[in-house]
Amino acid sequence: MINLTINNIEVQVDEGTSVLTATEKTGVKIPTMCFLKGMSNHPSCMICLVKDEQTGKLHPSCALPASEGMKIITDDDEIHSARKEALELLLSDHVGDCEAPCRPSCPANMNIPLMNRLISEEQYQEALDIVKQDIALPLILGYICPAPCEKACRRKQVDEAVSICSLKKKVAETGFEDETILHPQKQRSTGKKVAIIGSGPAGLSAAYYLLLYGHNCTIFDRNPEPGGSLRYSIPDEQLPKNALDKEISLIEKLGCKFNVDYNITAEVFNSDIKGQFDAVIIAMGNSDDSNIATFGFELGRYGLITDRKTYEVNQSGIFACGNIIRSRKMAVTSVAQGKAAARSANMYLSGQVPEAVHRLFNSKFGLLVDDEINEYKKETIPDLRIELPNGKLDNFSDEQAGIEASRCMHCDCRKPSTCKLRIYADEYGADQKKYKFGNRKSIKKYFQNDTIVFEPEKCIKCNLCVEICAKKQDVVGFTSIGRGFDMEISMPMNFSIDEIITDVATDCANHCPTGAISLK
Amino acid sequence: MIETIDRIIAEKGKTVDAVIPILQAIQDEFNYLPEKAMLRVCEQTEITPDRIYGISTFYSQFRHKPVGKHVIRVCVGTACHVKGAMRVYDAFRRELGIDDNDDTDSEGLFTVDKVACLGCCTIAPVVQIDNSTFGHVDPANVSNIIDEFLNSDTPVSDSGRNRLKGNQKNGGEIRIGLGSCCVASGSSDVKSELENSLKHIDTNIDVKQVGCVGICNQVPLLEIHKPGETPHYYTKIRSEEVDDIIRRHFRSDNLFRRLKSDISGYIDNYIIRGIPKSVRSYSSESVDTPVAEFLNGQINLATEHRGLLKPDDLEEYISLGGFKGLRDCLTHKDPDSIIETIKNSGLRGRGGGGFSSGLKWEMVRNASQQKKYIICNGDEGDPGAFMDRMLLESYPFRIIEGITIAAYAVGADSGLLYIRAEYPLAVKRINEALYYTRKAGLLGENIANSEFSFDLKIFEGAGAFICGEETALIASVEGNRGLPKMRPPYPAESGLWGKPTLINNAETFSLIPWIIRNGSSDFAAIGTENSKGTKVFALAGKINRGGLIEVPLGTTITDIVEKIGGGIPGGKKFKAVQIGGPSGGCIPASMCDISIDFESLSEAGAMMGSGGLVVLDEDDCMVDIARYFLAFTQDQSCGKCTFCRIGTRRMLEILDNICEGKGSMDDITTLEQLAESTKKGSLCGLGSTAPNPVISTLKYFREEYENHINGSCPTGKCKDLIRYFIKDDCIGCTKCAQDCPVDAIEFTPYEIHIVDNDKCIKCDICRMICPVNSVIII
Repeated sequence: MINLTINNIEVQVDEGTSVLTATEKTGVKIPTMCFLKGMSNHPSCMICLVKDEQTGKLHPSCALPASEGMKIITDDDEIHSARKEALELLLSDHVGDCEAPCRPSCPANMNIPLMNRLISEEQYQEALDIVKQDIALPLILGYICPAPCEKACRRKQVDEAVSICSLKKKVAETGFEDETILHPQKQRSTGKKVAIIGSGPAGLSAAYYLLLYGHNCTIFDRNPEPGGSLRYSIPDEQLPKNALDKEISLIEKLGCKFNVDYNITAEVFNSDIKGQFDAVIIAMGNSDDSNIATFGFELGRYGLITDRKTYEVNQSGIFACGNIIRSRKMAVTSVAQGKAAARSANMYLSGQVPEAVHRLFNSKFGLLVDDEINEYKKETIPDLRIELPNGKLDNFSDEQAGIEASRCMHCDCRKPSTCKLRIYADEYGADQKKYKFGNRKSIKKYFQNDTIVFEPEKCIKCNLCVEICAKKQDVVGFTSIGRGFDMEISMPMNFSIDEIITDVATDCANHCPTGAISLK
Repeated sequence: MIETIDRIIAEKGKTVDAVIPILQAIQDEFNYLPEKAMLRVCEQTEITPDRIYGISTFYSQFRHKPVGKHVIRVCVGTACHVKGAMRVYDAFRRELGIDDNDDTDSEGLFTVDKVACLGCCTIAPVVQIDNSTFGHVDPANVSNIIDEFLNSDTPVSDSGRNRLKGNQKNGGEIRIGLGSCCVASGSSDVKSELENSLKHIDTNIDVKQVGCVGICNQVPLLEIHKPGETPHYYTKIRSEEVDDIIRRHFRSDNLFRRLKSDISGYIDNYIIRGIPKSVRSYSSESVDTPVAEFLNGQINLATEHRGLLKPDDLEEYISLGGFKGLRDCLTHKDPDSIIETIKNSGLRGRGGGGFSSGLKWEMVRNASQQKKYIICNGDEGDPGAFMDRMLLESYPFRIIEGITIAAYAVGADSGLLYIRAEYPLAVKRINEALYYTRKAGLLGENIANSEFSFDLKIFEGAGAFICGEETALIASVEGNRGLPKMRPPYPAESGLWGKPTLINNAETFSLIPWIIRNGSSDFAAIGTENSKGTKVFALAGKINRGGLIEVPLGTTITDIVEKIGGGIPGGKKFKAVQIGGPSGGCIPASMCDISIDFESLSEAGAMMGSGGLVVLDEDDCMVDIARYFLAFTQDQSCGKCTFCRIGTRRMLEILDNICEGKGSMDDITTLEQLAESTKKGSLCGLGSTAPNPVISTLKYFREEYENHINGSCPTGKCKDLIRYFIKDDCIGCTKCAQDCPVDAIEFTPYEIHIVDNDKCIKCDICRMICPVNSVIII
């Protein structure tokens, strides 16, 4: 037995145990990427660096044998910054998007590529669930959204952007037309009451999510009918009233009370509203048109001042969203804020301190160049964008929607939540741009039958796939090619990916720490 | 093809560790590795496609595309680099009209390739075309070299002692150096001319080929030894001068003074180039001749009997005390006492790290497993060093003796000499030496009739700097990519095939026989407190007398540069020395009073390394030097660890930017940070020392970095920051216009010429060719 101390805790392990394994005994988890139990553990990623206190030197814990009297520190500033730097170096050579460019360009951060894939598979129920996770009013936005997502769509580099906005509208339409499709259901009632002032896109969106959380919602609006700017500023030719009514009635069905023709003054607000409701969402639209100045909140250049991430104003339990905090052109921005404010209010109502939504680290690489377009075309169909005669006022048929959705090139990574590089980059706050000086490598995509996709430019050269393949007889397998910076993992000689891996493909995908090898 | 491959497999074996030898044999046969051939190997052996391809792409020796009929290898080692190797490389490509994305001319006649180092640093820049080596190449004479190569049909001969006439009295001996540098400088032509001349002489004269004489910058060197006469030395001989020299010596004895033969003061007379047309000889008493100065201050242990020993003459080696040490060990000494002797001598490994050799031996001896291996590391990868090459080429028996003594001491019964593929002559010499040693019963079963049996074979490296690292070296012998492993376990505990393995550098082994014969205290008397004995250095770069030197540790850098090396040529100012190659650093002239020992060099930010010592003068750009080494390491990194694989590349990119005038002051901070974390976060010595050239130049020459960032390269080395200009003392000779490869200088006879800097590619030909030095860099 060997005795050592890890973070000043005495540990006893068998001879031959690595420091990584020994550390597990202390309950501390050291990050690893290239490590896999049962493999040779030839360290490469250097994320598992720990410090030998006696020499002050850093070593990869996965390959460092525990030795008698050793004193190990598993985390301090120096270790943290070394790990972060290792991540930043890996990221500087990691050519891949975590999220497809369309998604972060959507103010509501809707999972567009996933919606597209579900549509192409005719899974409208699932598509609607995905849409409604982030967008409360997809039908309305289907008519009026200027679709910033389509401006970011990589398909533009091939021909024209995927018609994302109309596809989303198609999903929403189907949700209303197809009786078999269920809309999201409310959680158990919390008994809490929320007042929402204003029934424009922000207010409706906030109400929708608060209702789903199980809270009681009452919307107050000074106009005779709900909808705010959606009803009173947008002409019928752009947004038919029946579309607006459909989505409002859905919210009503979820149990929302509407108090229309109700002008809220400062007195009413401070006495009645604040007194009778557990939380308030202020979504009164443009501050110029409102009497918000009299409410006693902090006002700034653009409107009501809130916390930029939680949308809480300077009084706890009161949140504001939409144009009241800053006038914006796009309704989708208000819809997104409505959801965020609802989330914060929900946290507040459940006794938590509202926190900003954490957006995971997102690797990006910019525009496709030259041959990369062809690589991306491998995952799509050649059809051109389907333009309908009346544009957004028309609807895709099921068949058209299927084709249009299949034009999506699957720019998003297949391992958005399991990629260790993303997880640790997020945890360590790594900056992908820090070491991006040179020309980036060119993206390639290989497809093995229908099982896996291999994208070498996402590889961190851990060699696990090489070893997994090498353990299997009769499998040619991946190999390491070249050396130095240009070293890559790929197929040997002129073998195709179909020839080199067969039944180990799934194993490789499951153990690949990044999205370099993933299940199709 | 199939038959050939099968024959190769039959010869080299079917196990995975045969992969490198098999690939080498295939490449010897086809000049490259045809995919069919590799697939056949996979069918017929245990070697799998992933392994064979992983290996063939890891080692730079291997090619996957057919090559031209002839291969031009432009050495881009450190010494060649500072003397303009890249311009030479560009010039060859230009001359042959090779496209940017190609390496072979359209007719398939020549392939142009870069090679990390040919180990001929003293005659830099060096180019090898097939087996012919050319020294002192400059961009202006590449077309001549190509012509010369195509028109010559002299094969390199190295046929050993040449007894010309059988039954006459011994009239003397002529020695000619046939180290790689000598051959590159034309010594084989000299030799064949010599043989011709001697046909007309009646006297019986031996022509003896000796190993490297060390005075590499004066080669070809011809030595004439006659009974009763002081030896005479002719340097930089041209073949057309040979006949004259021979006639003077062997017909007109009176021309030279007869002096007492004195073999120990072996170079007394020295005749510089230009003789024999105007005979001038130095007096034997004179101490200030260039050669005397070169040799002064040197102590020859590893290079004992330098210039006298014939590399492949075992009898001679034995007559001069060779194998006495081994016999002594086998008959009178037990392994423990030998290890004790080595420990007491204070010998530290000469490969770079400086670990106590005695302790290492003891670890291997004490390792519990019965089977043990020994490896001689001759994978000299430092691109400015040629010590191992010279030792292997010139003293093969000494190294074999040293290894055998070590094997006896640690209890190993078999061993390997790992030699770089770039050193064909060393491989050949060692092979011959192994043959003779075995034949003489000094290797193999029951060595010298003792109980001890031990045998050695050669493993040829395939071109990877990282394989100088002991765990990577072992990986490559086992048939793997040369990836270093985490230590511990050290090879002394678990090395080749998991067995305890002693790995020492070639120079370390070559010191062993001397230590055994003379005792540990004699060795320990040389050197400093913690660094005992001598160290062989490859002195090259901007130095008057470059060459291979062996000096006691503790000698100052200034002494080496000024006294032994004779200072900087052309009246230029001494700026710095680069010691230790890619792992080492640059020490500025102002600090060169420090003594050369392991600790002092590390403190100064350099490293003993393997012993490359490249002298830099005022014309050398320190940022460019740092960039040069980073370009080397980022290519030579095994590619495993994040910091080394990507960190060195990012550092190189920053340096590229700085050299192109696109840098910012923030870049220096980023560079420093990356250097620091790469040092900390790399698994092996290559990665952890790779930032040293950057760190040391930033430490001592920071203002040069700042100059670049501000848009100027003070030494005029960085292409993007300089312009060529012709001063108004131009005589209008048109030479520059004639030789300009891109017509950037208009042909204007008798007028001042003008460089069009938009067209100019900065090849430097005009500046070199101008007879009145009117072309300047601004």
